[in-house]
Amino acid sequence: MGGVRIRDVRKSYGGLEVIHGVNIEIPDGQFVALVGPSGCGKSTLLRMIAGLEEISAGTIEIGGRVVNDLPPRDRDIAMVFQNYALYPHMTVRKNMGFALRQRKFPKDEIDRRVENAARILGLEHVLERKPRALSGGQRQRVAMGRAIVREPDVFLFDEPLSNLDAKLRVQMRSELKELHQRLKITTVYVTHDQIEAMTLADRIVVMNGGNVEQEGEPLELYDRPATLFVAAFIGSPPMNFFEGTAAGGQFTIGQDVRIVLPPEAAGFEGAMTLGIRPEHLRLSENGWPATVSVVEPTGSETQITARVHGQVVRILVADRTHVGPGENIHLTAEMRHLHCFDSKTGKRL
Amino acid sequence: MSTNPSTSAVLMRRLHVGQNVRILAGVIVALMFLLPVFWMVLTSFKFQRDIFTTPPTFLFTPTLENYTRYLQQSNIPYQMMNTVIVAFGAGLISIFTGSMAGYALARLRIRGAGFLGVLILMSRGVPPIALAVPMFLVGRSLGLIDKHIYLILAYCTFLIPYVMWLMRGFFLALPKELEESAMIDGCSRLGAFFKIIVPISLPGLLSTLIFCVILAWEELLFAIVLTNRIATTVPVAIANIAGDTVNGANWGALTAVGTMTVVPVVIFALLVQKWLIQGLADGATKG
Repeated sequence: MGGVRIRDVRKSYGGLEVIHGVNIEIPDGQFVALVGPSGCGKSTLLRMIAGLEEISAGTIEIGGRVVNDLPPRDRDIAMVFQNYALYPHMTVRKNMGFALRQRKFPKDEIDRRVENAARILGLEHVLERKPRALSGGQRQRVAMGRAIVREPDVFLFDEPLSNLDAKLRVQMRSELKELHQRLKITTVYVTHDQIEAMTLADRIVVMNGGNVEQEGEPLELYDRPATLFVAAFIGSPPMNFFEGTAAGGQFTIGQDVRIVLPPEAAGFEGAMTLGIRPEHLRLSENGWPATVSVVEPTGSETQITARVHGQVVRILVADRTHVGPGENIHLTAEMRHLHCFDSKTGKRL
Repeated sequence: MSTNPSTSAVLMRRLHVGQNVRILAGVIVALMFLLPVFWMVLTSFKFQRDIFTTPPTFLFTPTLENYTRYLQQSNIPYQMMNTVIVAFGAGLISIFTGSMAGYALARLRIRGAGFLGVLILMSRGVPPIALAVPMFLVGRSLGLIDKHIYLILAYCTFLIPYVMWLMRGFFLALPKELEESAMIDGCSRLGAFFKIIVPISLPGLLSTLIFCVILAWEELLFAIVLTNRIATTVPVAIANIAGDTVNGANWGALTAVGTMTVVPVVIFALLVQKWLIQGLADGATKG
């Protein structure tokens, strides 16, 4: 077992630097999700941990030893790829036992570990099948089984649920979480799906443009995003943003919308972006005037899209509502749910 | 939008006619290619007197004389064995080295790899006649003229670039995560190539091997220049029969040897047909 320490790691292709000095510390047994949009460098960072990409500068430690110059096979890691990368000419049993055969484990031990992993993942009945005869979910499980039998120091997952349909993805998400709770092996999980990151991870690292934008516990990121980028990225439906001006402890949108700012932003003067999550906006008798454009009931809740001074805003209402398109409504939000950002720097105030 | 029933009937009819025209065109092209082969096989079973009749006869008394007499009197079985050794030898060496080179071009980040690949491919553009004489001179200096190994190596010079480029396409079509996964599982790059990539690429490798064997099997120029007695192959024998200025061309023998040259290749191709088609299809869609 071992943690992962990434210190000032950089990656360049030719003269182009794509990872700009990343520092992340992952304690032993923790589940960390690397999230961010396409091209933010999360997969490159994972591949550097795996040894599939060279590190241009900095160090990566696994279990306390620097692995910069070690080939992937000597890093004691197991990786699950987005496309599973199952060996198509081998049966499930041989796929799962391949790494152990490479390490010259006794046959009895290989069989024991493969059968144990197959039992955990419900794959006993498909052990003699080839990957092409499996469903998407089964292939995904085999890929996980291949990683489990290794009993490695670190699990690396590169968007492993992306190829599954929505229902199966939710199911596999729960299975993954259960598996981690059972095995307690350090896990680095790359995804662009923030729901996956929120539900699975002990800690989330949000990446943007080759930098770590913010890292912390899932709800910490949700409740106190450090930047506009994180605020926009974490949460579904996404946070609403209002562009306006702060002066004298008040935030003004257009002529008639004035919002009293929380103490931490009260002293700020100038262009400000105010963020409010859709579930924190309330319909009220008095408040900021808005015009409804779309109403989307889902049964358990209703999402209303409206406009406040030309700016689009989404409201998530837990109860059924009878407002309709074109109707004028009023909105309010509690002060503790306001997120204030400096429009110029994008940083939280 | 609904389609008028009469319009859809017309469309179906046109589709049907188009399909028939395509089949007919395919049959005509196949006949054009197969007719000379058919004529060769037919002639090999004719007596000398039936070969040049006008108009040509399709109904005749068949004979095996062309086969038996020539096989007994000539070196054809020996030359056939030479052809097998040289064709399969060159094919296997080319597959082994060419596929590894193709893999390197497809996967490894080598400075100037693209230029190197194009340079190797360009060597295919050099006319074989321009290489044959220098090769003869080199072979003579090394004492390798009329040796199987030298003919095999000579064939490798044009087969390896061919294999390299063909296999590069196959390897590019495979997800790179397969060998990355193997490397994490404990393989070296070479181990991942032999344990994972080669078994998966077997259809492509086999179909490429078939083409290599056929190319080497029918090659004449290098065989004539670089051999004279011990390592001569069947195409050289055919050329000698056709160019016999003393007795005149023995057409019965010529077609018999020609048939014997074609039949093993056809049998080989039929045996590995499944792999060949799969390999060609993979290359066409992914390569």
